[in-house]
Amino acid sequence: MRHVVRGHVVLPLTEPVLLILLSLAEHPRHGYSILKDVEEVSSGRVVLSTGTLYGALRRLLEDGWIERFDEDDTSRGRQAYRLSPLGRRNLQTEVSRLKQLTRVASLRAARKGA
Amino acid sequence: MLAVYQSLLRLYPSLYREQFAEEMISVFRDIDAETRKKGITAAAKFHLREISGLFCGAFSEHARRILGSHVPFPLSSRRFTMRPGFRFPKSTSFLMAVILAGIVLAIQKAEEISAALPRDIAPAGPMWAPHVGVLTTIVLTFSMVYVAGALGWIVLFALRRSGVHRLSDMPAAERD
Repeated sequence: MRHVVRGHVVLPLTEPVLLILLSLAEHPRHGYSILKDVEEVSSGRVVLSTGTLYGALRRLLEDGWIERFDEDDTSRGRQAYRLSPLGRRNLQTEVSRLKQLTRVASLRAARKGA
Repeated sequence: MLAVYQSLLRLYPSLYREQFAEEMISVFRDIDAETRKKGITAAAKFHLREISGLFCGAFSEHARRILGSHVPFPLSSRRFTMRPGFRFPKSTSFLMAVILAGIVLAIQKAEEISAALPRDIAPAGPMWAPHVGVLTTIVLTFSMVYVAGALGWIVLFALRRSGVHRLSDMPAAERD
């Protein structure tokens, strides 16, 4: 398998990074909301620790895949994160790759069963 | 537990702490309060996960700082682990045994020669001429390593265990 390095993030993406990007694809979120959404999207299979989450967010921020901004409700002093145009483009590339892979996988699995 | 979490955050590089520590503590506090309601087992699991996450995260950040930001960290990505399907060919153990036997025989022969030499003989000079520089030594070492590699490949080829033979033995469907 060929691995493409884009900044610090390597394609194909690891599952936690992919889930974090998917979580931010819908709308901007803060850390707690990302953790909860990742758990929900993965049906409880992937539970990130804060160390893992913020390590991934730091890499994605440095590569310009996501952006950090102050939430409107600043009462809790939380920072929110959103997907940048570059991040969205890269996420779409990864999703297309996965689609192609699952299509081939489905075809082969069906052929094997026949 | 919050005090433990805060003290473990000190393991991270200072720049990282400045950027994320406050936020991490806030998120930790929220989840901690939530998991305490779910019972002691859930809370214990959460604390264990957080502690190991902080250790791995801090290690990863320091490694990134030392090795450079372009180096992907293997602990998180697990991209450098050996493929689970990989097996050394059976001929490897035979070749290793041959190499080991060769080394043992060479040592024995050297001992015999050393014992046969008269005691009053002048000590031998250096194996390499004194004018041979570091660069020449490196080139010679690499050449020997490449020659050894080529010899190993020739043996594998002769045993029909090389990658070319394995690929040709593979069914066409698997190859695609």
